Amino acid sequence: MSQILRIALDLLVEAARRKWFVGLFGSITLVLVTLASSLELEVIDGAISGSKLFGEVLFGDILSSHRVLGPLYLATAYAAFYGGAMFLLMACSDFAPELLTPGRIEHLLSLPVARWQVLFGTYLGVLTLAALGTLYGAGGLTLLLGVKTHDFSPVLLYGSALGWCGFAVVYAAMLASAIFVRSAPLSAASGLFTLVLGIVSSHRESIAAVLEAGPRRQLFRFAMMPIPRLATLADDSAAIASFTPVDSSALVRVVVACFVFSVALLSVAAWQFERKDF
Amino acid sequence: MSALAVRRLTKRYTSLFGKPLLALDGLDLAVPKGAAFGLIGPNGAGKTTFIKLLLGVARPTGGEIDVLGGQPEDLAVRQRIGYLPERMHLPAASRGKDVLRTVATLKRLDVSDRELALALERVGLGVVDRRVGSYSKGMRQRLGLAAAMLGQPDLLVLDEPTDGIDPLGRVEVRRLLEEEKRRGATLVLNSHLLSETERVCDRIGILHQGKLRLEGTLDEIRRVERRWVARFDAGADAAALAGAGFVAEGAGWAFAGADVDALNVALDAARASGAKLVELTAASRDLEAVLADALGEARA
Repeated sequence: MSQILRIALDLLVEAARRKWFVGLFGSITLVLVTLASSLELEVIDGAISGSKLFGEVLFGDILSSHRVLGPLYLATAYAAFYGGAMFLLMACSDFAPELLTPGRIEHLLSLPVARWQVLFGTYLGVLTLAALGTLYGAGGLTLLLGVKTHDFSPVLLYGSALGWCGFAVVYAAMLASAIFVRSAPLSAASGLFTLVLGIVSSHRESIAAVLEAGPRRQLFRFAMMPIPRLATLADDSAAIASFTPVDSSALVRVVVACFVFSVALLSVAAWQFERKDF
Repeated sequence: MSALAVRRLTKRYTSLFGKPLLALDGLDLAVPKGAAFGLIGPNGAGKTTFIKLLLGVARPTGGEIDVLGGQPEDLAVRQRIGYLPERMHLPAASRGKDVLRTVATLKRLDVSDRELALALERVGLGVVDRRVGSYSKGMRQRLGLAAAMLGQPDLLVLDEPTDGIDPLGRVEVRRLLEEEKRRGATLVLNSHLLSETERVCDRIGILHQGKLRLEGTLDEIRRVERRWVARFDAGADAAALAGAGFVAEGAGWAFAGADVDALNVALDAARASGAKLVELTAASRDLEAVLADALGEARA
């Protein structure tokens, strides 16, 4: 096993002892158990003919499973994207600053592990944590509703994967910030700032149209150019989850932009980490 | 053969707004394999910087470092080093065994749960099964020491190993360090407790304002002033002894000279006057006096 995986695994073990993550997985379990025990769906020939939640009738019409699950998955995908990002932004903000605490980082760097391995191991650990949460929540819901509707479409998993991709950008910014200034609040703030920038970037054309034509508009367009369009990613995530077709080439461009932006941030972080004295 | 050697080692800290700080100024030092080397000096002397440079945690501005035949950045070299930082910070939610397991994993050591339990037992934490967050400072140091000694490293670098440990605990730590020495490990010890350093180390370096003021075996640096106290028989002529360079001191006669040759010339002169030498001891001072003198000279 490589040192990166060891660092990532160590972070996961540490996370498992934290109340934040026990709470997250507990909450997901609670939602799934509540839905499993309270949601009743009648399925006839692949269509849902009736539904009850806590014994109350939701609708009596005969609807296709996609029409029933679509809105639910859409809401879940948005919640997973923005809610998940906000939760992880807070819960993971102190992983890197904690690792860089005097007395811990010196000890870690005295072990046979390279600095870049510590950095990428931490990144991988946090992303694995986010992936596990996403997989458990989205996978659990897909499985649960699949059993009830006999429709096991993995669309929610695909949509949530895009949410995870968005968080990868946010955490790259958080990690880079922590390497420069060891502060959990600042790390969380830089993650939030990146998320907001990503939303602004998604609407850059409509915002640019509002700005006066000239250098200011050009500057805005130029500044927004490298920022991944996170709100677009969230919309695509929700669209995929709700069985709505998306422009796949545009989606690939957004995902590639997320990847390139994250790699750029991590490269800056690695450069600073390598030259830093502790 | 040296376990570590530094040549013209310099470290200058620069900041955007503050003045640059010269933490180490052209340090030359070699510590033989198997030695227990103690680094002493006042706060801000550069001791911790020196240790950080040895481990590759900080990078030198100039000079060369050779640790266990390689560079501090070399992962194979770090595999053979055990380190205890001055203020060990550990993840609060972990238990002692978890911390050791992490170290063992990153050092690629194949250790069983039983071996980890024994490592904890060795530092007096065998019966402690609670989260590190509730550990006292002394317990953290003990755990850090257990982590440093894991895998029998060739070089143990310990920054204030007995800090926060009670007097009985210090005796235990000393015993552990003696065991490590007997095993053949090289020890580099940075401690404010001079008596501890004196008891554990066989070589001492005095660091002040980034320069090595004095370095040698414990006996060498204690006797650096080349001073001896002689006792002659009752019939010795006081005037002749004084003429030979001896000065009355209590029941004996003190002689301070440049070297052993100077002492022998004085002794020959005393014997020539009919005095018979009964006892001769090299005057030695404790480490505190040596440090005070070294720093006094440096300040002068």
